[in-house]
Amino acid sequence: MDQALSLTISAVLLAGFYAAMAYGLGLIYGVLRVVNLAHGGLIMASAYVTWQLFSRFRIDPYLAIPIVLVVFFGVGVAMYKGLVRFLPRGAAGGVQSLLLLFGVWLVIRNAAYLLYSGDDQAVRTSYSTASVRILGSSFSVNRVVVFVIALLALLGLHVFLQKTFLGKATRAVAQNPDSCTLVGVDVERIYTLTFGIGAALAGLAGLLASTLFAFNPAFGAGEVLKSFVIIVLGGMGSVVGIALGALVLAFAEVFSIYFVPSYLTAAVGFVLLVVVLIVRPAGLFGQRELV
Amino acid sequence: MSSLRLPAWLSARALVLFVAGLTMLYAAPLVLSIGDYTHNVMGLTFMFMAAALAWNWLGGYVGQISFGHSAMFGVGGFVAARLALALELSFWTAWFVGGLTAGVYALLWGHPTLRLRGPYFAIATIGVGEATRLIATYWAEFTGGSSGLSLPIGQGPTKYSLYWYGLYILAGVVALSYWLRRSRIGLGLIAIKEDVEAAGDVGVNATFYQDLVLFLSGTVVGVCGGFYASYQAFIDPQDMFSFDRSIGFILMAVIGGIGTILGPALGAIVFVMIQEFLLATYPQLYLGLYGLLLILVILFEPLGIAGLLLRIARRLGYRPAAGVAAGGIASSSSATEGEPEPVLESPGPGGGGAA
Repeated sequence: MDQALSLTISAVLLAGFYAAMAYGLGLIYGVLRVVNLAHGGLIMASAYVTWQLFSRFRIDPYLAIPIVLVVFFGVGVAMYKGLVRFLPRGAAGGVQSLLLLFGVWLVIRNAAYLLYSGDDQAVRTSYSTASVRILGSSFSVNRVVVFVIALLALLGLHVFLQKTFLGKATRAVAQNPDSCTLVGVDVERIYTLTFGIGAALAGLAGLLASTLFAFNPAFGAGEVLKSFVIIVLGGMGSVVGIALGALVLAFAEVFSIYFVPSYLTAAVGFVLLVVVLIVRPAGLFGQRELV
Repeated sequence: MSSLRLPAWLSARALVLFVAGLTMLYAAPLVLSIGDYTHNVMGLTFMFMAAALAWNWLGGYVGQISFGHSAMFGVGGFVAARLALALELSFWTAWFVGGLTAGVYALLWGHPTLRLRGPYFAIATIGVGEATRLIATYWAEFTGGSSGLSLPIGQGPTKYSLYWYGLYILAGVVALSYWLRRSRIGLGLIAIKEDVEAAGDVGVNATFYQDLVLFLSGTVVGVCGGFYASYQAFIDPQDMFSFDRSIGFILMAVIGGIGTILGPALGAIVFVMIQEFLLATYPQLYLGLYGLLLILVILFEPLGIAGLLLRIARRLGYRPAAGVAAGGIASSSSATEGEPEPVLESPGPGGGGAA
């Protein structure tokens, strides 16, 4: 029973990170109907930025959060204004933008190879190996901090989308861009903002990931897939849907060690994805409503 | 044979071009003095052209982008290699059985997933490809795990003779591409790509057509995997099933000109050339270069290199027959969004020239 409890806590901690990681992809898809395949590339790039800030300028990864958010918001805005804006959206343009952003991912990946070679890197702080005890099992401090930050980020987004004018406008655009134009919402501006926020969230996810895992330029492929699994599970839905999707994936992965050999843990998410896409294309929790 | 009438989908000009191209390529190494290296790379290029064309049946004709074709490439390669090792089957038979196995495997995951459209299908195939790769890597009894499989030396065809086998595969695939595009089935596929529900309304059995195309595509890519195994004489799952390999098929087809016949073939040539030259000198540059090409193609020339050639040809006064190939990425028109573009009037280059 102790083991099950410790695995449960482990899954919940993992789910926090997963939710923060998936939300950027989900937000952009929900509002623009564009699958940002460069999401994984942004996560990887942000891990490198965090690592550089830490190793060059001695900036603690967690204190670097504002810097990373601003930088990646800018990157997202640039990506939208420079590339995505020119493509048709919706059903007709879905595959085009997918391939375009895939190209962006390849370029980012290649840039990282050129700059930092293919070696694994990790951010090692003085507290990287510290641990805390929760309900009798010990967990790395970093995992707990990452969980708390992820939770705060999601909460902040929830408030932004529900309470502020811009957030409400964003949700409205997700539902029907044409009527938004009619009532005077600048749809292009909302798209730009959404892409920026989505990229900033990818940046945050990369920063958090860099404190937990070793990374190299190929990092991010698995993260994109898992993010997609989560937004499919959560039905592209609200913050709550994303959180539930992240929980399902994290629990499936963590508890799969009881049923399948450990090397197949990584395949659990993909199998789950394919099964859910076929059985319940609207997502496990069914809500079709966006953002 | 003048009493035989050509079927409606086959034009005499295409047939002549096809036969002429085939004969020239067949005779080229016998007549010209081509260096061993170039000769071998050409053989490999034929295989990649065939694989890119097969990917294009699904990605270009039906508009379902697959990020998971390495799964069939790997299955075909490993089944063929295992058959050659265990039963000492002739390599031709081994390739064929490997290809069929790959085709059946494609149907297995494809039949349920092909109901999904656009990005959903694409992402599901990433999952399929990655899951297959993981399983293959750890199924060491079959794939040799991380140490891979070596094929018996001297039993299979020589690298030199593989040139012609590659050419045969390519010829078959070009003919199939042409038939798939020009026949009744081809029209059905265009209808599905444009609007799957409307296609159903006019009596196109979308499920059957898509399954058929995926099966054919998977089989051909599987045969290509078998060819690759014979060519390399050593295969390992990390390479055969890698995501980069799936990406390769997409890049060849999209950069060359998705939905056309000449395009993926040209794309494969560019792909192999970049790989052979850049990989040797600047191994870090090639992926980024492909990415850049992909971005440029999507933004400026949706028909890729083939579209570029078409523009040049038009400039020079050449008027291709309308309706030769409906290329372009995904459906270009939709009922509610975007400007409808007459797809049938954006002709791609004809079939025969590709061989």
